[in-house]
Amino acid sequence: MTKKAKVADKTQSTTLRTPGSAGDLLRLPAVTLPVAFPVETLVPEVRLQTPAVGQRATRPDGRLHGLGQTRYIDDLAFPGMLHAKIKRAGIAAARIRSIDTREAEAMPGVLAVLTGREIPVNSFGPSLQDQPVLADERVFHAGDGVAAVAALTEQIAAEAIEKIKVEYEPLPAVFDPLEALREDAPRVHAPDSNIYASKVIRKGDVDAAFARADHTFEGQYRTQMVEHVPLEPHAAIAMWDANGRVTIHTTLGRITLGRADVARTLKLPLNRVRLVATIVGGNFGGKNEITQEPVLALLSKKTGRPVKGVFTRGEEFASSTTRHPFIMDYKTGVSKDGRIVARKVRLVLDGGAYCSWSETTLGKACILSAGPYRIDNLHVEAYAVYTNKTMTGAMRGFGAPQVCFAYESQMDEIAAALGMDPLEIRLLNAFEEGSASPTGQALHSVVLKDTLRKAAERFGWKEPRS
Amino acid sequence: MKRRGRGIACMWYPIGFTVSANPSAATVKVNEDGTATLLTGTVETGQGSLTVLGQIAAEELGIATDDVHVVSADTDAMPMDTGAIASRTTYVTGNAVRLAAEKAKWILFEAAATLLGVKPEQLEARDRKIQVKGYPQRSIAISEAAHRAQVVLGQPPIGSASWNPPTVAMDPETGQGKPFSTYVYATQIAEVDVDDETGEVEVLRIAAAHDCGTPINPMLVEGQVEGGISMGIGFALQEQILFDGAGRQINPNLTNYIMPTSLDMPEIEVDIVDSYDPTGPFGAKGVGEPTSVPTAAAILNAIHDAVGVRITSLPATAEKVLAAIKAKQAQGTKGLLRNR
Amino acid sequence: MTELTIRINGETRTASVPDETTLLALLRDQFQLTGSKLGCDAGDCGACTVIVDGKCVNACLMLAAQADGRDVLTIEGLATQERLHPLQKAFEDHASLQCGFCGPGVILSAKALLDEHPDPTAREIRDALAGNLCRCTGYTKMIEAVQEAARMLRGKPVGEAGGAQTRTTGQAGST
Repeated sequence: MTKKAKVADKTQSTTLRTPGSAGDLLRLPAVTLPVAFPVETLVPEVRLQTPAVGQRATRPDGRLHGLGQTRYIDDLAFPGMLHAKIKRAGIAAARIRSIDTREAEAMPGVLAVLTGREIPVNSFGPSLQDQPVLADERVFHAGDGVAAVAALTEQIAAEAIEKIKVEYEPLPAVFDPLEALREDAPRVHAPDSNIYASKVIRKGDVDAAFARADHTFEGQYRTQMVEHVPLEPHAAIAMWDANGRVTIHTTLGRITLGRADVARTLKLPLNRVRLVATIVGGNFGGKNEITQEPVLALLSKKTGRPVKGVFTRGEEFASSTTRHPFIMDYKTGVSKDGRIVARKVRLVLDGGAYCSWSETTLGKACILSAGPYRIDNLHVEAYAVYTNKTMTGAMRGFGAPQVCFAYESQMDEIAAALGMDPLEIRLLNAFEEGSASPTGQALHSVVLKDTLRKAAERFGWKEPRS
Repeated sequence: MKRRGRGIACMWYPIGFTVSANPSAATVKVNEDGTATLLTGTVETGQGSLTVLGQIAAEELGIATDDVHVVSADTDAMPMDTGAIASRTTYVTGNAVRLAAEKAKWILFEAAATLLGVKPEQLEARDRKIQVKGYPQRSIAISEAAHRAQVVLGQPPIGSASWNPPTVAMDPETGQGKPFSTYVYATQIAEVDVDDETGEVEVLRIAAAHDCGTPINPMLVEGQVEGGISMGIGFALQEQILFDGAGRQINPNLTNYIMPTSLDMPEIEVDIVDSYDPTGPFGAKGVGEPTSVPTAAAILNAIHDAVGVRITSLPATAEKVLAAIKAKQAQGTKGLLRNR
Repeated sequence: MTELTIRINGETRTASVPDETTLLALLRDQFQLTGSKLGCDAGDCGACTVIVDGKCVNACLMLAAQADGRDVLTIEGLATQERLHPLQKAFEDHASLQCGFCGPGVILSAKALLDEHPDPTAREIRDALAGNLCRCTGYTKMIEAVQEAARMLRGKPVGEAGGAQTRTTGQAGST
């Protein structure tokens, strides 16, 4: 007589293979899902070659990106973590009369509220410390933060900031940088002038050179405000330990500077501050200074819990730095064979509500504005002007894309007027090894003409058009 | 109808901060088996800097890229770094990394010298070996040298170093000085089609020739060029933050802030021109920002070549281009016509 | 509260969440699958792209309740313990991802395309990725990688495009 094999009873107590149903039985929260990835090392050949320089080596972090395993700041969570939101002013220029946080504080799920008054040193900035961590007395642009809330969920925090009542006394505002230059313009910050940075580069004698020039070209060029749009919004998580040390996980691309700024605004010694980044999901210059880190640190201190803050996409645009709009006036004198003999440039930078990286942008733009050309007689003056708009800061190129648009547009205008090939006029004027830059520096490793010729060859510039 | 045009733009761009000190520090530890760990205070922001820095350390130590593990981004555990900004990481942090690796390498040379019967100065690190210059048959594996240094001689091969670009302050009246240690150069040439009935501009292809000194990782340089061009296209044709009369942004969202998608990208041909900068690590300079600098100018020059209108303010949206074309037609003028 | 049963990467799970919970929040907060990203919360950027019942969706626009009874594939469901998915392999070989934030969304959009069109043209690939914004790469190396992955999936021999050939190695450092 054969024995029947026992059939597994599906209703018996679950095994490790069906943890989902175990969760139902035990009323556990959702049980984590398995995530599979190959553990056996697959090392691409290129990473094993010597010498290493010049290899098209693949990136180990690239592998993790494709698996979705890279941990960005918003992917991190800590036990007891709260969520913070910042209330934005919504008004471009105002004096803050009062901030009433009582209704927000009374909301269930809200654990702390913070205003600018509570920040030990309420100012920061890479060159001028003119930006408040949270606006305290005055608001300088519509994206300014005026108060912050830490709550059990993001939803509660978002609702709570709506309940914070701020009384503003509107002030006259100025939005156009040329208007801001005028004597009678409303003053954004300091009472004397809206110009907060300026620079001059002078070489040779431009006026004499213009007088000698065969042709003179003048033009004004303008560029717009744009934003970095990193796919990953700004995010940070702050927490303290029992030795008074604050650790901030953050999307900053410059953690040494970030640490200095946090230490300064919180009045802490540097060795009590730790900044940790993971991989930044896109920076392009917008994550080079602190934004919400001191706010989260103070909320964490108040609540005794880790506090996370993640910018909305709207905050990315309105409450983080942008690219300076430029207004550029170019006057160029050339000889009849197309050589540039003199160039005069005036740059006006829309400097937004705060200085941020404007001094650096101004300085670089000034130096680069003459273009990569041998020019003996040069005069460049540049100004950064406050306006009551989103602060303008570091963005890929620090003014270079703006001035390049101007000097290369004018170069083509000159070429067209003289009936010259745009490639030839550039080759005629281009820097060479040892050429003097606008600041009198002897340049080395100059391969500009190589790039002109190579691009032209690759493009087929000399080929007849179809 | 569609009209085709082409435009050139070239540029120069500096590496590092303007005059002011912007040092980077690094530490290289060679493990007992000849692999290594690099500690850097920089932060990976997507450009692949950690891979490139690993390649620089590997090159100095004569080992492979995969032999170097790179750790970064913690102010407690890593040395300071001025940051991933101003296209400075390959050049400044790279120099610090190379110097740190060199110091660790010298400890290996001292450990290997007696075994090989030569002075340390006679040695070089190549192909995972410490070998005698000019007589490579006499060599030991780097793992043997590392083990001997740490376990036998009690000198773990660790090297730390920092580097800062040498500059000269600019005169406050004339701006004369040496604000940067090095610069890079590039040219981009764009071919566009402009629809003279709608003003729409399509970028068909771009030839980009870039200087970055020695390309430590050419594949990552290409990635920077392609990414920079996409930002340049957005800057030239699409992107703009708009404000209302009260200074509030009108389009703080990705529905109404137009930026390039996969459909907006042209065919891109990248050439890395031959270049070597003796002040950079193994001749390298940098490339992160320069790639987005000349794109808009090249495209705008191409628009002029295509339809004869000179747009002098960005972005050159379809509306703006069409208005310029119509104004030109109305005036019946040939040649250059300014339009804001 | 919404009770739902959902099949994620082949595993069935139940959850009980507030009604307004999006599918993205369900995946990230409830199931700790953080591969799908929050980029804009408005369906504009595609960083939250997942595949629901074979179709690409922006998980931030779909309520968790709408995913009740459905099959969801996230980035975490592509690789196995034996190997990377050909898309993941090709993206790595071609350095198609830089900061990586848009990566999971792009790869899933590409997968949905290749499931329907195993031999897509470059134009078709661009169309499929048009809803995924990337700020770092300019998309160029993504198109190349998708083409190579398509070749791998069709069983065609692959070239050295991108410059990486892989082989298994037991120990780091051995030649």
